[in-house]
Amino acid sequence: MFRLQGSKTLAVDLAGDSVKAKNGSMVAYDGRMTFKKMSGGGEGLRGMVTRRLTGEQMTVMEVSGQGTCYFADRASEINLVSLHGDKLYVEASNLLATDAGLRTGTTFTGLRGGASGNGLFTTTVEGTGQAAIVSDGTAVLLRVSPQYPLMVDPGAYIAHQGRLQQSFQSGVNFRTLMGEGSGEAFQIRFEGDGLVYVQPSERNTVGGDV
Amino acid sequence: MNTPVVLDPMTLPSDDNVNSYTFCVELKGSRWFLQKGKMIAYYGQISFDGIGHGRFERLVRTSFHSPLHASDWVVAEGSGKMLLADRAFDVNSFDLDDGNLTIRSGNLLAYEPSLALKQSIVPGFVTLIGTGKFVAASNGPVVFMEPPLRVDPQALVGWADCPSPCHHYDHGYMTGVMGGIRSLTGIGGTSGEEHQFEFVGAGTVLMQSSEALMAEQATGLVPNEPGVPGGPGGGGQHGSTPRMPGQLGDLQRRFGL
Repeated sequence: MFRLQGSKTLAVDLAGDSVKAKNGSMVAYDGRMTFKKMSGGGEGLRGMVTRRLTGEQMTVMEVSGQGTCYFADRASEINLVSLHGDKLYVEASNLLATDAGLRTGTTFTGLRGGASGNGLFTTTVEGTGQAAIVSDGTAVLLRVSPQYPLMVDPGAYIAHQGRLQQSFQSGVNFRTLMGEGSGEAFQIRFEGDGLVYVQPSERNTVGGDV
Repeated sequence: MNTPVVLDPMTLPSDDNVNSYTFCVELKGSRWFLQKGKMIAYYGQISFDGIGHGRFERLVRTSFHSPLHASDWVVAEGSGKMLLADRAFDVNSFDLDDGNLTIRSGNLLAYEPSLALKQSIVPGFVTLIGTGKFVAASNGPVVFMEPPLRVDPQALVGWADCPSPCHHYDHGYMTGVMGGIRSLTGIGGTSGEEHQFEFVGAGTVLMQSSEALMAEQATGLVPNEPGVPGGPGGGGQHGSTPRMPGQLGDLQRRFGL
């Protein structure tokens, strides 16, 4: 149902069903479509309050109808993710669209979020279906296995899925305090079994200049 | 639907591009110089330390000669594979074989310590000398050109094996009252292309296919010595009077004042 039209436009074929997408990301459609803003991302009152409290805000619309609807977001590259009952963790700003059947929610990420400048919470997408995430430049998909843990710069991290433990790794030492920092003082360490999406560009982060 | 390629330490290329925006460097107990903040992810045991780290004394003596840029560079050391990227710009690796290449300092991402980095006397540029591999970023793919040629200042990435460029001003822009007024006010039309860099001699000029520049970082000033271009006391021989464009030299100098 989700397909890419080029690498920067997402085309979704709808036949009476619906899809959830970032508010205002529709660029074109043919057929008949109705757009409905979903208060609180369609997660009910509790989800709405949680999002407001956690700062992981996401304005979502529900698109339903017959035909093809095209989505794009600031010419960012789009990556499709298929979920089969597993969970995808993604930054709210990087989530473009999800199947209507997927459940979204918020989860606490711990210290990692604080360093990546994205808040202490992240968005989860759960269920069976497809999701589209955006990245600045073509994303690189890296596998984490028990013998190969992966270290990621917080500013380049966009999403991960699978059974992964993340911990915060810091190389801060007395040199950092003396202005002799390495610029790579903070990393997220992923261990376990799963996939991590990394974008070839760094957001401005609190830890980035240290 | 295209299925994305999942990469792991086995399938990641060694010292090659992963895609046009990401480059993978393999370290086997070796070292690479890296511009701060360009590492996006790595597998294995790699440590990142500032240039001033005591253990790098010998390395820095042979391969790093730019005190102005020292705070922007780190040494990556260890074994594993690391991914480099910069603001979703295109990245490419180049091999120098006993050669020299001068590049805008912000565009250089990383280089092998078998090369020596020296600061160019052209402000904002650095020169790599020796044999080895380096990684550079450009906005859009890099285009290689042969001199003689004139290039737009914003599209210039660097040049190899040829003498430094000089400024070239279109004649009508430079002389006469009307030319001055035109370039100052835009009345009568300016094309925005009245000023170029001119390259002559044998060599290669590297251009990017857009005019978007990387943000320049303030790196401080070159030593305050007479004869050093760009230095506080070196280059500026004329006073503080602002120069009008369209003026051939300053008025007071023409009158010998």
